[in-house]
Amino acid sequence: MTKQIELSGVNKYYGAFHALKNIELSIEKGTFVALVGPSGCGKSTLLRSLAGLESISTGDLKIAGELMNNVPPRKRDIAMVFQSYALYPHMTVEQNLTYSLRIRGIGKAEAKKAAEEVAATTGLSQLLGRYPRELSGGQRQRVAMSRAIIRHPKAFLFDEPLSNLDAALRVHMRKEIRTLHDRLGATSVYVTHDQIEAMTMADHVVVMKDGVIEQQGAPLELYDRPANKFVAGFIGSPAMNFVPATVGADGRSLAVDVGEKQTIPVDRQLEPGRVVTAGLRPEHLHFVDPGQGVFRLPVGIVESTGSATYITTSTAAEVTIVETSRRSVRTGDIIDISVRPSDVHVFDDKTGVRI
Amino acid sequence: MSETNRNRLMLVIAILMAAVYLFPLYWMYITALKSGSEMFATPPSFWPSQPQWDTYPFVWESRNMGRYLWNSLVIASGAVVLITVLGVGCAYVLARYRNVWVDIGLFLILMLQVLPASLMITPIFVGYSQLGMLNYPRLAVIIAIAAKSMPFFVVLVRATFMAVPQELEEAALVDGNSRVGAFFNIVLPLARNGILVSAILIFMQAFGEFVYSKSIIQAVELQPASVGLNSFMGPNTNEWNRIMAYATIYVTPILAIFVLLQRRIVSGLTSGAIK
Repeated sequence: MTKQIELSGVNKYYGAFHALKNIELSIEKGTFVALVGPSGCGKSTLLRSLAGLESISTGDLKIAGELMNNVPPRKRDIAMVFQSYALYPHMTVEQNLTYSLRIRGIGKAEAKKAAEEVAATTGLSQLLGRYPRELSGGQRQRVAMSRAIIRHPKAFLFDEPLSNLDAALRVHMRKEIRTLHDRLGATSVYVTHDQIEAMTMADHVVVMKDGVIEQQGAPLELYDRPANKFVAGFIGSPAMNFVPATVGADGRSLAVDVGEKQTIPVDRQLEPGRVVTAGLRPEHLHFVDPGQGVFRLPVGIVESTGSATYITTSTAAEVTIVETSRRSVRTGDIIDISVRPSDVHVFDDKTGVRI
Repeated sequence: MSETNRNRLMLVIAILMAAVYLFPLYWMYITALKSGSEMFATPPSFWPSQPQWDTYPFVWESRNMGRYLWNSLVIASGAVVLITVLGVGCAYVLARYRNVWVDIGLFLILMLQVLPASLMITPIFVGYSQLGMLNYPRLAVIIAIAAKSMPFFVVLVRATFMAVPQELEEAALVDGNSRVGAFFNIVLPLARNGILVSAILIFMQAFGEFVYSKSIIQAVELQPASVGLNSFMGPNTNEWNRIMAYATIYVTPILAIFVLLQRRIVSGLTSGAIK
């Protein structure tokens, strides 16, 4: 596999503000990479640096093996889909699609043919003569995508392309973008703040916070083995429960502090007496018959969506449980909860790093 | 009071205000058509009993208005071209970069707007005479008007450029254009309406400019219509109908431009002309 995009030791400063800190990232050809994180984490800056719209302060940035640090955007051969789509309002759909080709001096007839081919695959054939203002949100989104596809670039960059669409269309476009990526064999970098988009679309997820890559890897790897508390809380919905705990004398159990101390087993040897944070995913906690569980928790709020019931306990450190079976439960009940020892995540109390 | 009555009252007030505001214009048009005796009649008549249409050709011929208007046109067009060429670039830079120096620059530009022409004319005149610019009086006036009206143009056009999303330019860069290419291909076409409107406003201002022209242009054959109108009026003037005819010929084209383009001008001033 060849490396399509390589970043090593990349830093970006805006005056005194350190926006990207020592970024190491290498993307193989044909991979779909998602950059995800809360707003202001540097994911958009990183994407814009790849496009050449921002210059990096130190480090190396290579696209298809060539050093691109000081190469202007037009010579990088990358395509970008903007959050606002950035369609040229004074051009028709066809002119929007062929703009990049016309700049490169490709003949009118050839450009028109290319536009028609791309439009046929994205369902825009009937709309080539329209202006962007005459299109719906979803259609504009397609034009923005088509404008990127028509050039067969070395990489596609997406800057939160679905955030302006309504929920149903977003789910639909998610699949469409991924299908398109696979069909073109393209290399894509996709910025989003929505972890579900990142998890469902990407082969490789990069979680960022404050300009630092907190963890990167396959989506399920991030879900199963989060490197720290931040990643653990960011990936997964509803978010992981964090409960203060102390390692038991045998080193194989945790005394978790949920109002009163309760002991739960873990599957690895820990340092006895160490103060830690236990991480429990809501979907790994199961509501069981009295006497079967490791926990006994008082029920606070019960919310049901039909497919699942969200139970929030009334303990000091709130614990959320997702239960898919229809067991009746009411506020004030004391319920028994079980959890598999292998599903208990343990993080250092101070640094938040996984133990 | 009901909603419709309220609206009617507002409408009446608006019409009254407009009537007060437009009365001088109306008086100009009817006085131009009155005869010498009707003009001074007491009480004044609000509609000419016998419209004197031949006042117009008489004034046009006797005052040599064709030449004056041509000079006005040359000066106004020259100023508009100069301001547009220089001002568009300036406005773009001020729209796209934000830092302390840009703020200082904007402040100075607005300061220039505050200074009246009658204050500026003395230093300008002295400077021009030192440089020998008084030998090219129309060019000298064009430059003076450009200097005075540029801030107004820059501030208006800057707002237009700020309404063009930066992402469009970035998309053009990624699509393979250079910064200069993106400016001419994407930004300029989108800002065209705002630039056009600002240029028309500048043209209308420059067409009526008086202080610089009066002070700098000595030769009668190079003077614009505003100076010609002024020289028409002496201390013992009594031919007001002819003066009003002159004024009518002078301002009607400008009024016509404004009325015809009024919708575009207003929308250009408020919306920045971009959706």
